[in-house]
Amino acid sequence: MENKTRTKKRLSKNRAQNGERVRLEGLVRKQAVELKIKNGQLKNGMAKQAKSEEQVYIRTKAMESTAEGIFIIDAQKPDFPVIYANQAFQKMTGYSKREILDQNYFALYGVDADQRIINEIKNVIHRGETFHGEMLSFQKNGNKYWNLLRIAPVRDTGGVVTHYVGIQTDVTLMRARELEIDEQREELLHVTRVGKLAEFVSSLAHEISQPLTAILSYAQAAQRMLMDKEPKLREILQYIINDDQRAAGVIQRLRVLLKKSSSEMKLLDINTLINETIVLIATDATVRNIFLKLELESGLPLVRGDRIQLQQVLLNLISNSFDALENNLSPREILISTSRKDADTVTVSVKDSGCGIPAHNIPKLFTHFFTSKLDGLGMGLSISRSIIESHGGRMEVKNNPDHGVTFYFTISAGKKDV
Amino acid sequence: MSNSGSTIYIVDDDISVCRALSLLLKSYGFNVQTFTRAADFLTFKHPKVPSCLVLDIRLPNINGFALQKAMASRGIITPIVFITGHGDIPMSVKAMKAGAVDFLPKPLTEKKLLNAITQAISKSKIQNKKQTEIAKIKRRVKILSPRELEVFRFVAKGMLNKQIASRRGTALQTIKVHRGRVMQKMQAKNVTELIHLAQKAGLISPQH
Repeated sequence: MENKTRTKKRLSKNRAQNGERVRLEGLVRKQAVELKIKNGQLKNGMAKQAKSEEQVYIRTKAMESTAEGIFIIDAQKPDFPVIYANQAFQKMTGYSKREILDQNYFALYGVDADQRIINEIKNVIHRGETFHGEMLSFQKNGNKYWNLLRIAPVRDTGGVVTHYVGIQTDVTLMRARELEIDEQREELLHVTRVGKLAEFVSSLAHEISQPLTAILSYAQAAQRMLMDKEPKLREILQYIINDDQRAAGVIQRLRVLLKKSSSEMKLLDINTLINETIVLIATDATVRNIFLKLELESGLPLVRGDRIQLQQVLLNLISNSFDALENNLSPREILISTSRKDADTVTVSVKDSGCGIPAHNIPKLFTHFFTSKLDGLGMGLSISRSIIESHGGRMEVKNNPDHGVTFYFTISAGKKDV
Repeated sequence: MSNSGSTIYIVDDDISVCRALSLLLKSYGFNVQTFTRAADFLTFKHPKVPSCLVLDIRLPNINGFALQKAMASRGIITPIVFITGHGDIPMSVKAMKAGAVDFLPKPLTEKKLLNAITQAISKSKIQNKKQTEIAKIKRRVKILSPRELEVFRFVAKGMLNKQIASRRGTALQTIKVHRGRVMQKMQAKNVTELIHLAQKAGLISPQH
């Protein structure tokens, strides 16, 4: 009986063990599935993290390799320490990474940097605004550079400005080029002003010397007709002659005083000269929304001329075209072209699509004091023509068949033996 | 003074300058003729007398330099004295290179003007004399027969009678006769003189 019971017990125990095993197995299976899911999730997360790490790496790498100086400053500390600066920034300022990090941002532009601008930037940072401007800055070794600076705030999720990010560019070369262009333009303007005055005096001198010539010859003729009669009258005639010559002397001195600085004749490439001149008025053309088109023939012979004077002529013609296009809606275009007229002559033309010139005004166009502009002196074209003629060339004008005018001038090719 | 046989032309667009210069130059005994336009001077029939042109550079339409060129192309040899109220050195150089006698700034001093004009008139006299002589020689050339002219050309080139005869395939004697007639008609005493005449008549260029 005992055995039976034992067997029974064993049986029931077996049964019970069986049930437990099934339960456990189910649990394990469930956990395995969960584990698998969790594992999958974990793997996924790691991949995500790796991906974002890769992105950070690429961004950092990109910031390090750009030519613009990039930096980040802590906006919440009073002395604005720099917490990041890329290589270009280090190179531009001349300081190493160690010298930059945690240092006052403003100190990196040198003690001689413009304090007004520095203060303005500080104010901008206080207000949480952006700054955009140019500032003369100093490298560690004291070398100057022109710094085109843009800085902008970085805010946390609550909208509080925590940092400032900045980008700066070294624009020293650009500024030098602009300065050079300004100087050239100024020089040309000066030459033009002096030229106008000289031309004005010269034509005035001509106008006055005509009656002086007549007065002098009348008086001398009268003296001769009197022979030895009327000594008193002869004396008066002599006074007239003397004063006439005095007036002539004044004009002569004035002319010498305003004598055009002796021209420097050199062999020039006319196409290069045109390109150089275009640079001087490119800004003006952009402001006026005018398109300058060039059609320059290649392989032209060198011409002999004075660089400044020829530039003066080109500028005069182009700025006249600007004025002619003033009220044109479209097309606002000026075509400057060069071509070979014959073996020894080059033709330059400036064509506009402007208002044109009334036919009855064309013959008067090159004379002194003729102008169709309200504020014009009427000297530009007459000076231009006399410059071209003194170069042995000719200047002409034609109305275009459609609209606008074309001014042409010729200039002789330079001969090496002159 | 012997100025009465000479004519001064004045071209200046200022009528008062023309009148004043005319009065002054007439007082020296010159014949004076004034023009206010270059074109009028060009179309004017120039008498064969010693002359001088007093020419303003700044003129409407045809300026002084253009007139100088136009005169050269029409064979008007009147010497030029340029006057200008505008002048500068390059301009005067240009004028002188083109054969002007002088280049005077306005207003003109009497002495300088007179000097320049006197110089121009004597140049004109020499030119006229030369022209007359050439005309005379050309008239002599005209009376030569075609054969004589041919022989004249050969002789002027320095060819011997024998060479001319063989070149033309003619007897030596015939050439000698032609040559004798050429000498006679051209009024030349010897071969050297004949060659000179040929040069002056423009039959051969001086290098030959």
